[in-house]
Amino acid sequence: MLWSVLNKMRSTIWMLGIFGLVVNPALSEETIAPGPFTDTECVSCHTSRDPELIRQWRQGPHAADPGSGCGSCHGDRHEDSNEKARKDQSCASCHEGPAGHSYSLSKHGVINHLNEDRQDWNQPLQRGKYRAPTCSYCHLHNGDHGNTMAPSHGPEVRQWICSGCHSPRYVREQFANGKRQLEIADLKVKEGEELIASAVDMQSGALTELKQRLIRHRRNVLFGVGHQSPDHQWWHGQPALDGDLIRIREAVSEFHRKAPLERPFSRSPGDN
Amino acid sequence: MRYRLKLIALPIVALLAVSAGFVYVHWSKGGTGAGLYSRHWSPDPVQGYWDPENFYQSTEIVEGIFEAELCVQCHEGITPGIVADWRASRHALNIDPVSCNDCHGSDHQQLRLPTPEVCGKCHGKQHGEFQDEARYGFPSHVLAMERALDAPHFADKPKAEVQSCVQCHSVATKCDSCHTRHRFDAAEARRPEACITCHSGPPHPDGETYFASAHGQLYRAEGSDWDWSKPLIKGNYKAPTCAYCHMDGGRHQVAHKSLWKFGLREINPHTSKNQVLRKRWIKLCSDCHEESKAAQWLTDLDQERKQAWKKLYKAEAVLKDLRSEELLRPAADERPPYPMGSLWQRERIGFFEGQASAFYNVSAIERDYFEMWYFENLGAYKSAAHGSMAGIKSGHDKMAASLDRIETKAKELRNLFEAEQKGEIAPAPSELWMKGAYTDYNRDHN
Repeated sequence: MLWSVLNKMRSTIWMLGIFGLVVNPALSEETIAPGPFTDTECVSCHTSRDPELIRQWRQGPHAADPGSGCGSCHGDRHEDSNEKARKDQSCASCHEGPAGHSYSLSKHGVINHLNEDRQDWNQPLQRGKYRAPTCSYCHLHNGDHGNTMAPSHGPEVRQWICSGCHSPRYVREQFANGKRQLEIADLKVKEGEELIASAVDMQSGALTELKQRLIRHRRNVLFGVGHQSPDHQWWHGQPALDGDLIRIREAVSEFHRKAPLERPFSRSPGDN
Repeated sequence: MRYRLKLIALPIVALLAVSAGFVYVHWSKGGTGAGLYSRHWSPDPVQGYWDPENFYQSTEIVEGIFEAELCVQCHEGITPGIVADWRASRHALNIDPVSCNDCHGSDHQQLRLPTPEVCGKCHGKQHGEFQDEARYGFPSHVLAMERALDAPHFADKPKAEVQSCVQCHSVATKCDSCHTRHRFDAAEARRPEACITCHSGPPHPDGETYFASAHGQLYRAEGSDWDWSKPLIKGNYKAPTCAYCHMDGGRHQVAHKSLWKFGLREINPHTSKNQVLRKRWIKLCSDCHEESKAAQWLTDLDQERKQAWKKLYKAEAVLKDLRSEELLRPAADERPPYPMGSLWQRERIGFFEGQASAFYNVSAIERDYFEMWYFENLGAYKSAAHGSMAGIKSGHDKMAASLDRIETKAKELRNLFEAEQKGEIAPAPSELWMKGAYTDYNRDHN
């Protein structure tokens, strides 16, 4: 019965199908072009289809890096390309170290990891669609290919993204506290750098290394705050900076104590 | 007569002293902060979210009384993430659903963040077990917040900075540290990742050492296929997880078998009290292994601890000698007062004298010892307890190197001091440790 009805309407169904392919570029794209594509091919096609997306991407840090084209995150085929790029793994292969580690230790990272199999990754990166924020949920929110967490996007964008789950006051206070934590870390860096600058006579590779440690530990606080990892805010951050200050002071004070001791013995005329 | 007077006076004086002590402690808790040093600090605005009982205050922006569907209707648009989460939770799917207002209250100007007491109204068994953990003392989950706030270095540092501490210590004040909101899924809390946000990093690399062990490797390979809705009892899991061992049977206590505890000091593992704990471990391990093997592993752990403490005592002795010879620089009076401007200024070394060498403005040799004790020692301990052989070796190698460095450094300090005496140079008291961008800020903002 059903079959005979369908049979009679065959020409109409065909017509509708062809009409659909012609007027709906997305549908024709999926059918016509599965890939593989090179990055240049992606960009040349999508520049006319999604000019805004390409513009965002060009302004971001990824476009400047020749090693990270479309294919790095999306793979080289249309099939599953969004699903693939939305998952944390697509970021983790490059963003390892404290950036990735701080996120995967955070509650967001943990929840996301444990729910990965149950999450529908075809959902757009929008509020209410994900159990916990992923890298892309925050940094490419709503598919914006500029970094939506970058200061250039402004605090309102961050506020909007986080308050998809948290109360506006909570988000505001967390950001404000994070800023204060960073200011404190900056004071420690300043204290250390001033101590190092005060020891101008002192030629030591140790101080240069300590300066680099200050910068590294300050960066851990930043990742700890941004990704909400108390372990990075604290153990890899603040007390580590305190330790750097202790060792800088030790080096400086020892230098000052040793200087007068070395003077009497240095180069008296008959020594040669 | 005089003798009798003494007999009467002594207990009266003692009684007065004790009650004065109680009054003082009570008074000291009445400040703007919380705990023993509450009169010395005020909370950072964000602290209310970690310790709602003490510091959370509802906003008064939205006026009205709301319940169940009314809350959801509005928050579906405002905070869709948590509504979606709640809809998928057992709270929402229950025949008699647990709605927003059941936990948060219905007056929008007097909303509360749920404390364990709020959850305990329905989850009485779990809350009871959780509270009962206090009898094992600290470390434990239930005492985590009050002990953090009572630590002198919490009061001593800027409050924005030490919010990092209370994030993890909020395990005592909120249930969502493990049962993340608003799904509150028991299955999620059973998995080891639920613990690692706090149980990782230098002083407690629990996650790192577990995942490096055979148990952890098995979990990593197969864990996502296991049925996590099953209770934490014998036969339900192919390999043990954090919760399987430390909260066996689903008991909401982690201290109930804890033998070496945090690993900060040496214990006698064979006291009658500890024999009871040992038996508990052996019984648990024998869910899968032979009892004799489990007993042997405990003995191996004791041996590892003995070796670690041998090294630590040596290092501590070196430091105490330096202190009695007055060779530590900065000297106690060259440091900003720590902790909390105590009456007796002294270089504090090791666990029993406080953790002064933990954080700032001590000599580098004290910091070396602190890192040896707090990072390397605890790393070795957790490796031994969780079964990461490589971790044990690397921890002990690091401790041996630290001990060597401390001994060499002590020799250098003595030589420097002797050379100064010989040259009749008395180094002027150093101001170096008292000033600096952070040091000045810290003095004014704690």
